[in-house]
Amino acid sequence: MKMPPFQLHSPKSLEEAFSIADELSSSNREFDWVAGGTDLLPNYKWHLNVKPDVISLAGVSELTLLTDTHIGAMVRLHDLAESENTHSLVSAAAESVASTLIRRSATVGGNLCLDTRCFWFNQTEDWRESIDWCHKCDCGTDADCRVIPNQNTLCVATYQADLAPSLMCLGATIHLASKDGERSMPMGDFFQLDGMTRNVLQEGEIVTHVTLPDDVSEWHGDYQKLRQRESWDFPEAGVAVAWKKTGGDVSDLRVATTGLESIPGYHEEESRLVLDDWRGEESVDLLSESVRKSVKPVLNTWFPPSYRRKMVKVLTRRACSGLLEDSK
Amino acid sequence: MVQYRLPMLPPSDEVDWGASVNGNAVSTRLESNAILLDVLRDSLGILGTKRGCDMGTCGCCSVLVDGSPRLSCLMLAQEANGCEITTVEGLSDGHHLHPIQQTFTECGGSQCGFCTPGFLVVISALLGENPEPSEGEIKSAIEGNLCRCTGYQQIVDSVKEASNILCNGANVDDSTDPKSDPHPGFSG
Amino acid sequence: MWMTPQIPRVIRIQDFRGEKLGEEDSDEMVGYRQQPGKLPFSKPGSGGKNQFSEPRDESSIPESQGGSKAQPWGDHRHDEIVSGRVIGKPTALVDSRWKVTGQAQYGDDIRLPGELVGRIIRSPHHYARVLSIDASKALDLPGVLAVATGQDATSAFGVLPVTKDEHAMAQDKVRHVGDLVACVAAVDEASAREACRLIEVEYEVLDSIHDMRDGLEDSDLPIHDRGKYHIGESNVQKRVFQEFGNVEDMRDSMASHSSDWLFAGANHGFTEPHAVVAHWDPSGRLTLYTPQQVPHYLHRALADVLEVPMHQINVYRTFVGGGFGGKSDPFPHEMCAAILARKTGKPVRINFDREEVFWVNRGRHPSRIGMSIHSDSEGRISGIETDALIDGGAFASFGHVTTYYNGVLHTAPYEIGGFHYTGARVWTNKPASGAMRGHGAVNSRCAVEVGLDDICEQLNVDPIDFRLANLLPPHSSTITGFRVTSIGMRECLEKVREASGWDEKFRKMPLGRGIGVGCGFFISGSGLPIHWDPNKFPHATVHLKIDMDGGVTIHTGAADIGQGSDTVVAQSVAEVLGLPLDMIRVRSRETDTSPVDLGSYSSRVTFMNANAAISAAMEIRAELIKATSEITGAPEKKLVIGDRRIFRKDDPAVGVSYLEALHKSQEDRGALVSSGSYRTPPMGRVHKGAAAGLAPAYSFSAYVAEVEVDVETGQTKVLKVWAAHDCGKALNPLSVEGQIIGSCHMGMGQVLSEEMRYGRTGHLINPDLLDYKIPTVHEMPQVFPIIVESNDPEGPFGAKEAGEGPLLPILPAVVNAVYDATGVRVSELPISPDRLYKAIEKKCRKDGVSSPTEMKTPRISHSELQEKIVERGKSHSERDIERRRGKEPSPYHNGALFGLDPEVPGDEQDSRWTAVVTPSEEYLESPGLAGSAWKHVERRKRGDSQ
Ligand SMILES: Cc1cc2nc3c(=O)[nH]c(=O)nc-3n(C[C@H](O)[C@H](O)[C@H](O)COP(=O)(O)OP(=O)(O)OC[C@H]3O[C@@H](n4cnc5c(N)ncnc54)[C@H](O)[C@@H]3O)c2cc1C
Ligand code: SF4
Ligand code: FES
Ligand code: FES
Repeated sequence: MKMPPFQLHSPKSLEEAFSIADELSSSNREFDWVAGGTDLLPNYKWHLNVKPDVISLAGVSELTLLTDTHIGAMVRLHDLAESENTHSLVSAAAESVASTLIRRSATVGGNLCLDTRCFWFNQTEDWRESIDWCHKCDCGTDADCRVIPNQNTLCVATYQADLAPSLMCLGATIHLASKDGERSMPMGDFFQLDGMTRNVLQEGEIVTHVTLPDDVSEWHGDYQKLRQRESWDFPEAGVAVAWKKTGGDVSDLRVATTGLESIPGYHEEESRLVLDDWRGEESVDLLSESVRKSVKPVLNTWFPPSYRRKMVKVLTRRACSGLLEDSK
Repeated sequence: MVQYRLPMLPPSDEVDWGASVNGNAVSTRLESNAILLDVLRDSLGILGTKRGCDMGTCGCCSVLVDGSPRLSCLMLAQEANGCEITTVEGLSDGHHLHPIQQTFTECGGSQCGFCTPGFLVVISALLGENPEPSEGEIKSAIEGNLCRCTGYQQIVDSVKEASNILCNGANVDDSTDPKSDPHPGFSG
Repeated sequence: MWMTPQIPRVIRIQDFRGEKLGEEDSDEMVGYRQQPGKLPFSKPGSGGKNQFSEPRDESSIPESQGGSKAQPWGDHRHDEIVSGRVIGKPTALVDSRWKVTGQAQYGDDIRLPGELVGRIIRSPHHYARVLSIDASKALDLPGVLAVATGQDATSAFGVLPVTKDEHAMAQDKVRHVGDLVACVAAVDEASAREACRLIEVEYEVLDSIHDMRDGLEDSDLPIHDRGKYHIGESNVQKRVFQEFGNVEDMRDSMASHSSDWLFAGANHGFTEPHAVVAHWDPSGRLTLYTPQQVPHYLHRALADVLEVPMHQINVYRTFVGGGFGGKSDPFPHEMCAAILARKTGKPVRINFDREEVFWVNRGRHPSRIGMSIHSDSEGRISGIETDALIDGGAFASFGHVTTYYNGVLHTAPYEIGGFHYTGARVWTNKPASGAMRGHGAVNSRCAVEVGLDDICEQLNVDPIDFRLANLLPPHSSTITGFRVTSIGMRECLEKVREASGWDEKFRKMPLGRGIGVGCGFFISGSGLPIHWDPNKFPHATVHLKIDMDGGVTIHTGAADIGQGSDTVVAQSVAEVLGLPLDMIRVRSRETDTSPVDLGSYSSRVTFMNANAAISAAMEIRAELIKATSEITGAPEKKLVIGDRRIFRKDDPAVGVSYLEALHKSQEDRGALVSSGSYRTPPMGRVHKGAAAGLAPAYSFSAYVAEVEVDVETGQTKVLKVWAAHDCGKALNPLSVEGQIIGSCHMGMGQVLSEEMRYGRTGHLINPDLLDYKIPTVHEMPQVFPIIVESNDPEGPFGAKEAGEGPLLPILPAVVNAVYDATGVRVSELPISPDRLYKAIEKKCRKDGVSSPTEMKTPRISHSELQEKIVERGKSHSERDIERRRGKEPSPYHNGALFGLDPEVPGDEQDSRWTAVVTPSEEYLESPGLAGSAWKHVERRKRGDSQ
């Protein structure tokens, strides 16, 4: 399946990458970054929002560092999952991504920046022509969103990457860089609605790495993923829970979800409410129910939204099972 | 309708590309956005590597890039520039099959055979790293390969058998060795 | 790395040469004509390393032939020719080395010099009239050599002669999204794709239909127009009505089951997308390279569409990367490649994207099946009523047959009191459904077997015992008159019961764990060839050629699609001639050199082609024996063939080597050639549609599946499957097991996750392998294949099919196991987690529990009937053993279990028993869903039109 033509640039360093980006921007040429390509290339093969230029980060060596608190954007998910340095919550999430073959190519940066998905959108050009396109890739037709019609301003495609919730729960900071400098923010602030905007990255800006706080080893957690098959399938819902205990008591608790909306959810309020008045299993039930209530999936992935929403409750409860076990 | 689709021409600019494919140095010029699978099949004529879906969902296109199994349909050729690439054609040593090739034939690992090159490449990497994989390790290694014919069971059997050969140092035949004599002597 | 025996190899060859020379000097050949006074010439063909013929493998030689192989099912007409070489031994596929080295060439691996790339322009509309096609911009593009449209080929084709409703490209209308409109040939893929983009097509969009139920109604513009044969103004393509047995009384029953099933469509999901290369050679002949299951029908269709005689076309079957029925129609893209190649004068290759595979589809029909089953107080199946509406999509394909199969293929293995079947196939604006592994039998079989489970629940009897007490005996006739010969059903059930630990598990496991049973029955080859009078032509023909080298070349048209048909035919010949497999080579690719074979469908290949091969080999065998007799003076009757040696049975020392006998028979005529063929015997009854489902033999299977259901998520995991299949005789047990396991995989996909899902706008939303959910290695249960060998009297060495039948039982076994685990009876497939969860929620409400973990699971306490049916099962078992060993068992017609005379069909002896194939007025007053197709009157039978 041949892709539409584009120029691929393969810089060897960050500096070179930024200068290529700068050059393209100043000549008004749109471009994409590509890392492992396991998301971008399928999209390009299906002619989805193809840009005339693509800059590959594969050769940029600065981005591959992996320690227990530093995860470079170009670290491959296979390595992340296998590495002994990785926090078990992160490696569990990494291991659940796609298939082992895809994880050999897939990167952390690409996973965090994964394009949102929708079955009206992730289709070939022929197919999309047959539905008269949709807003996210309207090919200049001003087409409507096929999920929530009669508005052509919002895309509700679903963010279906696995890593983000676990990283959010561990209090990760994401680091961005461009020719204009670096900035960083809590993982949760990185994502931005809607399904087309996806995140805060500016043109020419990339994710360089993710850092985990020093106390990360004191956190325990679990990631639960809902999917039809145990290989290939994207999360239809994913719940990560992390907790910290002091003396047998739960002293801190975080919950984050993916696969349910256009950005991952960070359920700060829900976890704070139960944490204030921790009553073991009962609190877990309360928490699960409130997380379920807070997510609003739509019909654009494999499972129907009503089912995904109900499962959020089960997944949350299951992700907490370690929490309860520990305290027994 | 025409105006809404993306133009496929003119092609991307060409770049130099080189790799060692099954031990042979290859150098050529490619469109800068070429995909490794297309290069192998369409430019280099190495047709053992199959295209089942082109989207990362079948594993038929697996090759080894510097020894690590990768999906060639989701790999930009430029990323493999200068690398060592092994395809199914590179697994056997002349007419001696790799043990996994041999056991695939003997244990029913291959029915229609279309998925076979992908499986073989992936399994050869597994056995290279771990000559005695457990059943769970075998399954995890081939979770990215789709087989519609065998139901995987005889594939897993083949891997176990190959692991046997590797661990016990048994020989594999040369396929050009003389075979049955249509006229065997008989002692009367 | 592994050990490479390179150095020893060299030494071995030298040793070996020395040995050989010495041996030749000393070896004086009896009967070998030497030229007097001249140096002895070396024996052609020698040079192997095996010095001695192996002794006969007594355990492979049947008892009846003096060997030690037990024959619990009696002897067989092929016993005499068993040489003990290869049959019944696990055998690597003869083409497997091509596959494992990457040298097997599939459709897209055929690359011809100067070839062009073809691409197809497809409809973006469900249903539309094509008003105009403007290709001028495309043709202006450098590198574009030709554009073809429907006008380039106006002849209709279709796999069945009665329903030719396809064209190479749209004539006036397009009938589904993805239907072919035009095609282009260009120098490379980019130009071809760009050309497709530049072609402007103007459409008038028509009202499309997507719900199969709408297809039953009259329409302003039916999807096809069949002229005077059109059924009303509807989209009904085919309808069937059958009533056999005592239909009147069957509803008067002790237990009744009734359910309305909804089955999603399924796709074959073979890994190799379609690909084709067409090349017109300088002599003006077309060679079409394509991965086809049925080259012969394609051959015919090409001749029709291209308007050239068949002899001007050579269909070259490449390696086929999986077929399962999905590569058995002649396809429009194959026509397109040929048309483009003709226009441009260059070879043209078209290869599909995965999405296009879903557009041509031909997968399992989406179906709505109403199933009612009744049992009387004796625990007999007093009736089965089936109403099957199947969604054919936009074209007929094999649908005519599918419509029958949905009913007639569940008239066995059980003896039934009444059978009512109404079936209808409708056109809708979807990719066409067609034949897929287990053709037409899978869905309705699932409904039957699940219904039986429910009946047993109502009667409080064990479902395996219930089945054992209701089986037709060997050599019997079904209610619709199919001749069933060997039946291994009982053994299948007994074996899976034991292996699975059924009695300890059934209805005894905790919530979330369950076990279920299901059976299957399938044709082993269809009794009637599609295209001709079977009394005139055989179904399969095989040619053999043996020259001085001693190797045997088999020419056959049977298409190896990975199932191993080349291997089976090679094995059959090797067995008869006592040769090792490496001396056999199969040439099965080209219609130019292969005798006509009907193709790989209907599970006919092993049965028919191996039979043809055996008869061809027997001719050669007779020659060899004659020659040996001439050399040794032993009478022909006393001679047998062993391993590369022909000798006296009673004095093995007297004999000659194969090559000597061969050379003797070649003395005056050179290479030996022979031809063998197979045709089915006349059988079956005479009513309309009686031939559908007729087969020279039938396969039987019984599976037990054990599942784990996560009741909180609705996710089902199949843990273990005990799979017993009666394949008559496993010619290659390795392949039979492979087929059983592979069938489990495919059936498990259909029952748990695979579906062609159509969205609210009627679009297929998952035409890719990410969302068409084929089970991965992690979903695969452990399968314990159990081979049952019932030694079919007509099968080659006793063999029947093993390719499709094994798929049937897995669906109901899983559905029944899910019931055992949860108490939830599903009637919609696939049982995706969301569907099952919904049903679980419903059950919770019904049970009045708040959490699924508190649900009650079904338990059983046997009723009085249980003992009765166990007794009956036992006595039937004795009956069956007697019947299968008897030389000429007396006739047994379905109905004897209900007190009728077994020697006469029920309807000929009891006025309450009927055999009708048209509905009565009374039925039409309140027909079933599919049955309502009969409310239309065919145009030719209407007063008003034509
Ligand atoms: C069959 C299949 C199944 C899959 N299943 C899953 C799954 O289960 N779970 C899951 O999470 N994913 C899944 N994926 C998606 C994908 O493989 C992974 O998410 C992967 O981690 C993406 O990484 P990549 O490096 O390949 O991304 P790329 O394709 O290289 O990039 C993805 C996007 O991120 C941008 N990007 C990449 N790196 C950076 C960076 N450093 N800075 C800024 N932008 C960047 C790119 O511009 C692009 O838009 C699947 C993909 C396939 C083909
Ligand atoms: S959510 Fe709407 S706009 Fe976004 S991809 Fe889906 S259909 Fe298009
Ligand atoms: S062709 Fe690469 S994964 Fe299917
Ligand atoms: S052998 Fe046919 S797909 Fe694996």
